[in-house]
Amino acid sequence: MGGSGSRLSKELLAEYQDLTFLTKQEIVQAHRRFSELLPRDKQNVEDSLRERVSFEDILSIPELKANPFKERICKVFSTAPSRDSLSFEDFLDLLSVFSDTATPDIKSHYAFRIFDFDDDGTLDREDLCRLVNCLTGEGEDTQLSASEMKQLIDNILEESDIDRDGTINLSEFQHVISRSPDFVSSFKIVL
Amino acid sequence: MREPEGMQMTRWQCWQQKQQTMGQRLGEVARRLAWGFGLWKGALYEIGGLFGSGIRSYFTFLRFLLLLNLLTVLLTASFVLVPLAWLHTQGPGPTLNFTALQCPGSHQAQTYIPRFHNQLWNVLTGRAFNNTYLFYGAYWAGPESSSAYSIRLAYLLCPLACLLLCFCGILRRMMKGFLRRPGLGQDYGVPLSAKVFSSWDFCIHLRDAATIKKHEISNEFKVYLEECRRRQQVQQDTPTQRACRLLSYLRVNLLNACLVAGGISAIFWATKYSQDNKEESLFVVLQYLPPGVISLVNFLGPLLFMFLVQLESYPPSIEVNLILIWCVVLKLASLGMFSFSLGQTMLCIGRNKTSCETYGYNACDYQCWENSVGEELYKLIIFNFLLTVAFAFLVTLPRRLLVERFSGRFWTWLGREEFLVPKNVLDIVAGQTVTWMGLFYCPLLPLFQSIFLFLTFYIKKYTLLRNCRTPPRLFRASSSTFFFQLVLLLGLLLAAVPLGFVVSSTHSSWDCGLFTNYSAPWQVVQELVALRLPLSGQRALQYLSSHAFGLPLLWLLSHILTVCIAQSQANARAIHVLRKQLVWQVQEKWRLVEELSRLLQEPGSSESLIPDSPRFRASHPRFSGPGFWSPGSPGPESPARDPSTRTPPWLSSSYPGSRDSPGPRFRFPSGTEL
Repeated sequence: MGGSGSRLSKELLAEYQDLTFLTKQEIVQAHRRFSELLPRDKQNVEDSLRERVSFEDILSIPELKANPFKERICKVFSTAPSRDSLSFEDFLDLLSVFSDTATPDIKSHYAFRIFDFDDDGTLDREDLCRLVNCLTGEGEDTQLSASEMKQLIDNILEESDIDRDGTINLSEFQHVISRSPDFVSSFKIVL
Repeated sequence: MREPEGMQMTRWQCWQQKQQTMGQRLGEVARRLAWGFGLWKGALYEIGGLFGSGIRSYFTFLRFLLLLNLLTVLLTASFVLVPLAWLHTQGPGPTLNFTALQCPGSHQAQTYIPRFHNQLWNVLTGRAFNNTYLFYGAYWAGPESSSAYSIRLAYLLCPLACLLLCFCGILRRMMKGFLRRPGLGQDYGVPLSAKVFSSWDFCIHLRDAATIKKHEISNEFKVYLEECRRRQQVQQDTPTQRACRLLSYLRVNLLNACLVAGGISAIFWATKYSQDNKEESLFVVLQYLPPGVISLVNFLGPLLFMFLVQLESYPPSIEVNLILIWCVVLKLASLGMFSFSLGQTMLCIGRNKTSCETYGYNACDYQCWENSVGEELYKLIIFNFLLTVAFAFLVTLPRRLLVERFSGRFWTWLGREEFLVPKNVLDIVAGQTVTWMGLFYCPLLPLFQSIFLFLTFYIKKYTLLRNCRTPPRLFRASSSTFFFQLVLLLGLLLAAVPLGFVVSSTHSSWDCGLFTNYSAPWQVVQELVALRLPLSGQRALQYLSSHAFGLPLLWLLSHILTVCIAQSQANARAIHVLRKQLVWQVQEKWRLVEELSRLLQEPGSSESLIPDSPRFRASHPRFSGPGFWSPGSPGPESPARDPSTRTPPWLSSSYPGSRDSPGPRFRFPSGTEL
């Protein structure tokens, strides 16, 4: 675990435990992984709580490396003014939302924000198009053709756009997600 | 994560909160322990990361069954074995007089000497455990009036209680995986949009696995679109085409039913032959003939089903579901037929035989028929496990080695074995059904099953990680959880029916076991009720089991059911009306927006009338596009923790929609401003 310089204090641990859905071990583990991403001279406790890690370093951790939504996840949880780096508390936020014990409502709220590629508060056709492209990958044989994409998005909007305004807002998204029992168990990242 | 602003809490509230959080943490720990959360956590995480949550659900199912079995063993041990050992009862030897029976020929039970005195063979057939607590025969208790604790009642009620507990556990897990809020008035399937939004598995952390997953998702979408097109085509069919399709359905199902009938009659004859010819020189083979035939039928059956179903060209989902249903039917029917044929040979169910008339069971051939049944079930379980091990090490492993070494066309076509989740699930469900069937005859069978499940986990994990490849077709974790639990439930019901029959209406052996002097094991309950309960208690029980109680209860339940159905229909109508209202309101909103934009563009109306106009997207070219950001509620009704201390970050962080204002961007001008 390293020297006492790299350990979080008990009060801080308890505070983080109160504010997130994580357990003590998970917070300690998260702190360790976060410190490893910092440069050598900044790996003590005080600096690790202040410093920010750039996206390239965060995206190099194995849990996020293969995820097609990794940039969106980082962007959503980043609180930096330029939205390009994560602090330790942002990292804990991320793990808290993706943990086992987070409520489905919080998970679906954040899923909505992650899928909202243009950050306008609703999922319109372009957002859905980019979502499906992320899911099916870059390969020639896996990408859907334009007509297939249109048909798919038409079906999605038909099912989930209750107020028929052409977009899916948060309430509609949450309503649709509640019909999928898979969501909670797949929307999980564990270190 | 951010501190709530300006919240001053009194000491009492602080203390209350602390108690709450402590209670919640204790509850969490208890819950995790109770569900064996810690067991195999690392292995499951690894499997999930490599293969996704569909295949991982098989292993979580295995863990669930292991816990059920351990619970059963615990119950049995604490209510039956421990008191038995405490009371130190020892029964007399066999007392049945054989000359009183008219047994055909020189048939006498238990005088045949097994040709193999091999220790291993005795263990494999269960002979070595004949007089131990593993089988029913070794249990003995004095008359009911002599001891305060009734071993007989405990022995009788333990299997029933275990089955009931398992039933509740399975039902609970089934409902958890089921739809949380079924859409009233809509169909009960998972809609496409829900599938799309939840299709990515965030647990995957290997690039290859991610690529495979993307292929799977792409396939699923393409298949779905294909089926949509097919459905549209089908709706435009003429009546003759529809009749043709129906006929082909009937034909396929009839053929499959014939196959199933053929399979189970083979099992019936095999069991009968094995029981009738216990003294042949082929003793060795005949001992394991029924399990062998069952396994053979269940191996060939699915292959033939697949062949027949693929002859017609059904859409893939219908194909998969049809084959799956028939495999389940075959598996459960073969076990049912096996237990029926055992019942026929030992209890003369469904046929006339004179030797059953004197004692109610075939006393000539079976001195202790419960032991024989227990032995058969024990052999079945051992055989299943040995088959699993044999397949893993003698079929899958050599296949992988050969495929890796040679690169001919045959070997590339053969490839590594696919890890088929439904097939593996059906295997362990069958084993569990046999365990449940044997609870009465072989009380410690769940202990063996637990050991086998434990070993099966590691064997399957090794097979999956080293010797298999992922199947190309996506297998969803949720529908599979529901499917596994449903098949398990069917197996439980299949095991409960013979148990109920045996407990209530068959004569136990006169020579061995606990129920020697009773006409049926259930008589013990009536005797104890008469002995121990006071008169008022007896009268109350009598009333509860009579018609005078049953009929009003039935009437009340049907009344409640009617009210529930009426309520749900009313709710469906209300939802329909509300949806229409919502659509109308949004249309109204856009109409008003267009009105306003028209007003704004009229000359004479100054822009200062609407101070918020820069926020109004008048410059936005498309009105029919996305509109207003509606701050959705992050679930104030049931957060896991107290929301007042845990301010969700999105309320104070810089979410772009809230950068300008926390409310809707467009502020409708009030009357005074205009």
